[in-house]
Amino acid sequence: MVFTLGFSISANIVKAQQPSVDSALMDRVSTLEQQIADQKPGESHFMVVGLATFGFVQSKTTYTPFGGPSQSVKTNSLGDADRYELSPMLLWRHGTKFLVEFEPSFDGNSLGVNWANITYFAAPGLAIHAGYFVLPFGIYNKRLAAGWIDKVASDPVGVDLPGTDFGIGVSGGMPLGNMKWSYDLSLTNGLQLLPDGEIQNAGIVDNNRNKTVTGRFALLPFSNSSLEIGLSGLYGCVADAGSNYNNAKTTMYGLDLSYVKTFKPILINLKGQYSRINVNGQNYIKPTDSSAYTFDNKTTSAFAQISIRPVTAGNKILKNLELAFRYVNFTTPGNSLWGQNYDEEDIGLDYWLTWRTVIKFTYAKTHSFSTANVSAGGVGGVTDTSNIYLQFSIQF
Amino acid sequence: MKTFNSRKMSWVMIFGLGTLLVSIMNSCVESKKVAAKSGPQLWAENCQRCHNTPSPNSFSHEQWVTIGMHMQTRAQLTDKERDKIVAFLTQ
Repeated sequence: MVFTLGFSISANIVKAQQPSVDSALMDRVSTLEQQIADQKPGESHFMVVGLATFGFVQSKTTYTPFGGPSQSVKTNSLGDADRYELSPMLLWRHGTKFLVEFEPSFDGNSLGVNWANITYFAAPGLAIHAGYFVLPFGIYNKRLAAGWIDKVASDPVGVDLPGTDFGIGVSGGMPLGNMKWSYDLSLTNGLQLLPDGEIQNAGIVDNNRNKTVTGRFALLPFSNSSLEIGLSGLYGCVADAGSNYNNAKTTMYGLDLSYVKTFKPILINLKGQYSRINVNGQNYIKPTDSSAYTFDNKTTSAFAQISIRPVTAGNKILKNLELAFRYVNFTTPGNSLWGQNYDEEDIGLDYWLTWRTVIKFTYAKTHSFSTANVSAGGVGGVTDTSNIYLQFSIQF
Repeated sequence: MKTFNSRKMSWVMIFGLGTLLVSIMNSCVESKKVAAKSGPQLWAENCQRCHNTPSPNSFSHEQWVTIGMHMQTRAQLTDKERDKIVAFLTQ
């Protein structure tokens, strides 16, 4: 009797544990499976990275007009265009052939876009890209400008050109025995000549029918990739269509160098870039009396930077410290409205909280001697500044 | 006529440069020493050219594949370098 009762209870438990087939539920599962299959997520990959930089700067600016008394102004600021940036980067790849990059950026003054392009990895050593991208000139703008990469708090003056533009391009890197070489070429809308002779990024609206060619070739002569030497060039028309500067053309040349090597316990990081901008002869209009004047429209910019970090030191705090020194020179055309000889020295001490999070302390001293055409409305004199930066930057 | 000649010359130069580029690309081979390099070695050598070497646990497997493509466009890594570095970071 007890045995029969026990068997009966066990049979009921087993029966209760068996899944009952609910046709409505199965239909619903089938519909969901179909919806998931239609979305084909296996080939799509989306992620968000980016960078944020926030800082404080205290400045003292002393202006001495030629033959006049000096005037000094002290300011301090929490974050401005050079010290504040929030740039999320949206990356989406389709398989391993297509990559879409979109990087909006808020710099404290405006909301802009740094990158908005699509890349097709066509073959080994050949990537084709189109859209809005940083032009391949030098190494700073494309590789070193991010706050969590740059060793000092501010950008070197004069390296912003040729900047970002709309167009198409090809790039790639290839081995060459023990060495390696790379190319990066683009065809874009081009730059714009302003009435005072300055060159600027043309922006969204193309200002003429001509296109600009920009390119950089680089050689890494050592098998450990420690040294990279790059040569850059740009050629294009810069005049607005229908303007008085119809035949205005610009050529840019650049030379850059990067050397990174550990000599235990010190990691030495050398970076340098020299660039030159030439605009062919043009007559400009004086804002003061509307008469014509001209000048040799050549601009040069250069920076050289060294940083050292005891990466293999035993002390945890010591090995996260990095000491950086940078020299900047920026020479704009004499006799123009914006002519100056500018020098800057920066010394910085960085502390790396993680591989992509840094606190930077930088002291910068600048000296600018005006070579501007005063009769045309330029401002003469000497300007000296000393700046103290405290900056935090992170890649997320 | 002058404009026509200069434009014709430009196209000839572009075609010539393109041909030269393709020829060089086809002749590019790596030495045995370079071919034998491991993912960790390439990770250490190439990432620090611009920034600190990233920790492998910073991103997921799928994200590292995306970042590998992104970094290839920035630093002009070779395809083999990218593949080896990503394989190391995702293992």
